[in-house]
Amino acid sequence: MRVVEAIMASLIVISAVTFLYFFASTPSSQAHDTSELEKIGHNILHDIDEQRLLARFVYKLEWANLTSALVVSLPTNVYFNLSIYDINHNSIGDQLIQYGDQQVFTSSSAVASVTYILPGYQTSYNPRILVLKLVNG
Amino acid sequence: MRLVKERKGQFIIIAAMLLSIMIVSVSTVIYGTVTYYRQERWEEYVTIVDSVKTASSNILQIGLANYTQTSNPNVLRDYFNSWIRDVRNAYPGFGVDVGYDLAKSPPYSLGLARSWNQPTSYVASNATVSIDIASVGLTGYNFSSHVFLKMSILDAGWYSKESQRYVIINATVSREGPEPIVNLKASNFLNVTLDGVSQSFSVKRYYSSTYSYFIYEIKVSSIYSKPSSVEVTLLDNRGIRTISYTETVEQISN
Repeated sequence: MRVVEAIMASLIVISAVTFLYFFASTPSSQAHDTSELEKIGHNILHDIDEQRLLARFVYKLEWANLTSALVVSLPTNVYFNLSIYDINHNSIGDQLIQYGDQQVFTSSSAVASVTYILPGYQTSYNPRILVLKLVNG
Repeated sequence: MRLVKERKGQFIIIAAMLLSIMIVSVSTVIYGTVTYYRQERWEEYVTIVDSVKTASSNILQIGLANYTQTSNPNVLRDYFNSWIRDVRNAYPGFGVDVGYDLAKSPPYSLGLARSWNQPTSYVASNATVSIDIASVGLTGYNFSSHVFLKMSILDAGWYSKESQRYVIINATVSREGPEPIVNLKASNFLNVTLDGVSQSFSVKRYYSSTYSYFIYEIKVSSIYSKPSSVEVTLLDNRGIRTISYTETVEQISN
C-alpha cells in the first residue's frame, strides 16, 4: 500500500506548481500601458516635427497651436502635460501646455514620459528639450 | 518484504521531488526569457535613438540653411561640436554619445557643397552620424544623412507677341530623395533679375508632360528688349537658398 507516499508525492508536485503560479506572474499592465504611451507620445512628436510644425510652434512660442496639435493627435482619453526647456534645463515659456485633469498625473502610478530634442530652427542652432508626460484619463 | 515496499514508496517521493525541481527550474528559465523584453526599458532607448537621429538630421538642415545665407564654411562643424556636448545634457544618466564625420570628398568640404550661378544650381550637406548609449551597451549605430536643394532653369524665353513683351522662365526645384518640391509660392522666389536688374514677377506651377516634372513658370511682364542673362534666387520653406543663372535666353515671336 503506497497511498501515503502517493499523497505526499502529489502534495510536492502541487506545491511546486502553486509556487510557480505566484512567482511567475506577468508584469503589471501599468508598465505595459506606460510603454505604449511612450511610443504614442514619441510618434506624435516625431510626426509633428516631420510636418515642420513642431519647431515653428516651439521657437515662435505658438503654445495654443502646439496644444491643439497634440490634442487632435492623441487619443481622447490620454491626458498630457508638456514642458519645454533649454539645454541647461531652464524652463521656456510660462504658459501651460496641457490637456485633461492634471490631478491624474499625481494620482496615477502609470505616467509615461517622453523626451524629444529640437536642435534649432531655420538657420540657428539653439536646442530645446521637450518633456511630454502622458497618462490615461 | 516490508523493507522492499518501503524503498519503493521512497522512490515515488524522490521522483516527485525531482519532477518538482525540474518543473520549477525549467519554468524559471522560460519565465526569465519571455519577460526579459518587458522588464527592459526598450521603448525609452528606442525613442532616444530615434530622437537623436532625427535631431542630427535636422542639424544638417539648419546648418545648410545657415551656410546658404551666411557663407560660413565652418557652420556645420560648429553645430555638430555643440550638439555632441548638448546631447549628453539632454539625456543625463543614459550615457548618450554622438560622433560625426562630415563628408569631405569633392564637391563637399566640411560636409557642405554649393554650386551657384549655373543654369542648374544646388546646395547640399552630408554627414555620417554615430550614436552610442553606454547604459544599454549600444555602440556603433551609425547612419548617413544628407540635405539637398536643386533648382534648374530649363529654359528662358523673351516673348514678343503682338503688343506684349515679356519673359518666361521655366524652372524645376527638387530636394533630397530626389523628389520635386511642389509647395513653393511666389514669396519663395526671393529675386528675379534680368541683366542684373531686379524685376517684379508672377509665379505659377503646373505639371509638364513635356518634361514629366512639376514646373515653376516665372513670368516677368513689360520687358521690351531681349535680356542677355537671367538670375533666379530661391529660398525654400526650410530656409535653404540657391541661385540659378543662365545666359541662354531665346527670342520667341510670332
